[in-house]
Amino acid sequence: MSSVDAVVIGGGVIGCAVAYNLAKAGVSVAIVERDDICAGTSAACDTAIHLQSKSPGLHLRMAQESIKLFPELQKDFDEDIHFKKTGTMIAIQTREQNEVMRVFAERQRNNGLDVVILDRAAAVEKQPMMKGDLVGATYCTADATIHPQFLTKGYFQAAKKYGAKAMLHTNVENIALKDGHVASVITNRGNIQCKYVVNACGAYAPFIGKLTGLDIPIAPRRGQIVVTEPMPKFTHTIVNCARYIAAKFRPDLLGTSEADRMGIGLSLTQTERGNLLIGGTREFVGYDTRTTQKALLYILQHAANILPALKDIHIIRTFAGLRPFTPDGLPILGNVPGIEGFVMAAGHEGDGLALSAITGRLITEIICEKQSAYDFDLTKLSLERYKNLDIKAFEAQYAVYK
Amino acid sequence: MNVMETDIAVIGAGPAGLSAAIQAARSGAKVLLLDENKAPGGQLFKQIHKFFGSKEHHAGVRGFNIGQELLKEVQRLGVTVMLDTVVYGIYEGLALGVVHQDNHYSIKAKRVILATGGQENYMAFPGSALPGVMGAGAAQTMINVHRVLPGNKILMIGSGNVGLIVSYQLMQAGAEVAALVEAMPQIGGYGVHAAKIRRAGVPIHTSHTILRALGEKEVEGAVIARLDQNMRPVAGSERELSVDTICLAVGLNPMTELAWMTGCQFEAVPALGGPIPLHDHNMQTTINGVYVAGDIAGVEEASSAMEEGNLAGIAAAESLGCLRSDEANAQKDIYLNRLMALRTGPFGEKRRLAKEHLLEAMKHASADRVSS
Repeated sequence: MSSVDAVVIGGGVIGCAVAYNLAKAGVSVAIVERDDICAGTSAACDTAIHLQSKSPGLHLRMAQESIKLFPELQKDFDEDIHFKKTGTMIAIQTREQNEVMRVFAERQRNNGLDVVILDRAAAVEKQPMMKGDLVGATYCTADATIHPQFLTKGYFQAAKKYGAKAMLHTNVENIALKDGHVASVITNRGNIQCKYVVNACGAYAPFIGKLTGLDIPIAPRRGQIVVTEPMPKFTHTIVNCARYIAAKFRPDLLGTSEADRMGIGLSLTQTERGNLLIGGTREFVGYDTRTTQKALLYILQHAANILPALKDIHIIRTFAGLRPFTPDGLPILGNVPGIEGFVMAAGHEGDGLALSAITGRLITEIICEKQSAYDFDLTKLSLERYKNLDIKAFEAQYAVYK
Repeated sequence: MNVMETDIAVIGAGPAGLSAAIQAARSGAKVLLLDENKAPGGQLFKQIHKFFGSKEHHAGVRGFNIGQELLKEVQRLGVTVMLDTVVYGIYEGLALGVVHQDNHYSIKAKRVILATGGQENYMAFPGSALPGVMGAGAAQTMINVHRVLPGNKILMIGSGNVGLIVSYQLMQAGAEVAALVEAMPQIGGYGVHAAKIRRAGVPIHTSHTILRALGEKEVEGAVIARLDQNMRPVAGSERELSVDTICLAVGLNPMTELAWMTGCQFEAVPALGGPIPLHDHNMQTTINGVYVAGDIAGVEEASSAMEEGNLAGIAAAESLGCLRSDEANAQKDIYLNRLMALRTGPFGEKRRLAKEHLLEAMKHASADRVSS
C-alpha cells in the first residue's frame, strides 16, 4: 500500500488546483481520477472568468481574490493559460431586466466592482456587433477569459513538478475510516494510506460522499454550448445577457416557456484561435451529457437576437457539461462534521475556473491548519450549512437521478 | 423548424447509401436518402476506371456507370432524395437535425443507416500548408468532375490504389507525374495499376518519404529522401524534385461524427482506418436502430461498401417487419458471401481479419446494448 498525506479525488480544474497548492506547500499528495485529467466539466465549458455574474458578498469577494492570482500562477506554469482581462457586457433586453440589473450593479459597485450601465446607443458604440434587440447593457472591465484545458493542465503539471503523484483511469471504490478519521482510499488499482481526502469530484461529488455516509447536496446542471468556426475578432469583451444572470439567481423572473425552463441565457466568448463559444442552458436532467436540437435552436436564436451577425457564421460543434449546482449557489468547501480528514472542494457550478485559484489556497490552508490569509466566513461554505436540508427532496427537486 | 418522419433515413448517397436505400425501398419501407453534396453518388462519379472482381461486383464497369445504375434504381423505387442537405446531429429518439437549403428540419426516423464515407488522411511536413499540397482524392475530383487540372507537375505521396489510379488519371488529364513516393518497401496497391504507371516511365520510389515542400507562396518543389529500416531518412539521400503540386494519397479515415453522437461503442482498428463503430452481421451498431455501411464501418472500397449497404438496407427493413426473416436471411447470405469473396487475397485478408475482430468485440458489447 502506498502512502501520502492527502488524496485528491477528481482531476478537474478544482482537483488539480488543490493538488497544486498542497504540493507546493510541501504536502505529499496524490490525484486519483477515474478518467483523464480535465475529462469532465472542466473540458465542457466556455472560457469566461466572470465577476459580474457573482452575487455581491462572499461569492464576489472570493472571485475577486481568485482572479488576482492568475498572473502569478502563469509565472509558475509552463503552459500558456491564455489569461486575459477582456471585460464583459451584459445585454439588457427589457425595462424589467434593466431595473434588476441596475440594483444588481449598484450592489456590485458597493463591493468594489466597477460596473456601469450603458444605454443602447452607448452599448452599440462600445460593441458594434451587439446591435440586435436590447435596451442597454452593463459594462465591467474586471472580467477575464482563460483557457479551461490549459489552466487545468497548468495546475496538473505544476503539481507534478512539486512532487504530486497522479493515478489516472483509477476508480475509487471505498474510503476506509479508523476511529472517525480518514485512513485510506481503496481503488481498483490498490489502496492509498492517507490522512486527508479531498472530494473534488464536481457534479459527481455526492457519489464519493456516499462512500462515507455523507449526504452532499450537489446536483448536475447541464449547460449546452455551441462552437463556431474560427473568426476574426468578433467581440472585444465577453457578452452575456440579463437572462443569464436571472437564470442563475432569479429563475422566478423567467417565464414558463420551454426556452425559459431550459434556462436559456447568452454567454459568448471567443478563444484565442477565434472560435466563438456560445452558451447556454441551465437544465436539471440528471447525469445526461447529450446535447439537444431544441437547445441548439434556442441558444442560437437568442444569441442572434442580440448579435445579428452570428446568423452568417458556421457552427462546427456542440457539447454539454454538467455544472455542480448547490442550493445557495456557493461551493461546498472545507471540513465536514463527523469525519476527520474528509475535506470538500466541490459545488462551484459555473464558477470552477474562476474560483479554482482561491479554492486551492483555502483548502491548503485548512489542511495545513494555517491561519487564513483571507477573512472569508468559511461556515457559509461548509457542508454543515445544509444539515437541516432534506436530501431526498433535494434530489427529487433537481432531478439528480432522473 | 419543419418536422418530417420516415421509416428509414440513409445518411450519405455514395455507393453504400444508394445500395442501402435500394434494398430498404424494395422491401416497401419508406426511405429518405440524405446527402450534403449537390449530386448523389459519393465518390463513384469520379471513378472513371473499370472495377475489378466478379460480375456481381460490376467487374469491367466504370465507377460512374455503376453510380448511374444505382441512381436510376433509387428513383424507380420512389426513394425521397434530399441533396444539399447537412445532417448536423442525431438526437434522442433518432431525431436528425437537418439543414436543407437554409431550412431547418427535425427528421424522426425509425431506423438510421449511416453511410457517411471516409475522408482523406492529412500528412504534416514543413511546407504542407502551402497552396499546391492537396489530397489525391481532391485532385481526382478536380480532373474528373470539374475538369480542372490542379497542376502541371505532380509528386504523388503514397502508392496505394488511390495514389496509383489518380496518378494515371492525372497523366490522362494532361499533367506530368514526376514521381510516386512510398514509405513502405513495396508498392501498396494492385500490380495492374502500378504497371500502367511504370510503363508510362514514372518512377515509384519505395522506402522513400517527403521531407519538405519548397516554395514561398505556393509549391515550387519538394525534397524527398530514402528511409532506412527504422523508417528514418538516410542522410545524404535527399533529392530535390521540381513540382508544382504535391498530392497526398496516404489513406482514408472513417467519418464517424454522427456515430459518436449516437453514443454507440467504438473500437480503434488501424487496418480499417481508425475508430470504427462496433457492428454485427446486420451492420447494426450497439445502438438499436442505428446501422453503418461503407467506409464508416471500416475503410475498404466501393465494391464492399455496396455490399454492406445492401446488408444494412435489408436488415433495417427486416427489423421494421417489411421483410420476413427467412426472406431477409436468404438475401443477406448472398451479400455476405459476396463480401467474403471481396475480402480474399493479400489485400482483402487483412481487412477480413480486422472485420472479424470487430464482430468478436461486438459480441461482448451486445450484452449491454442500449437503445437511444
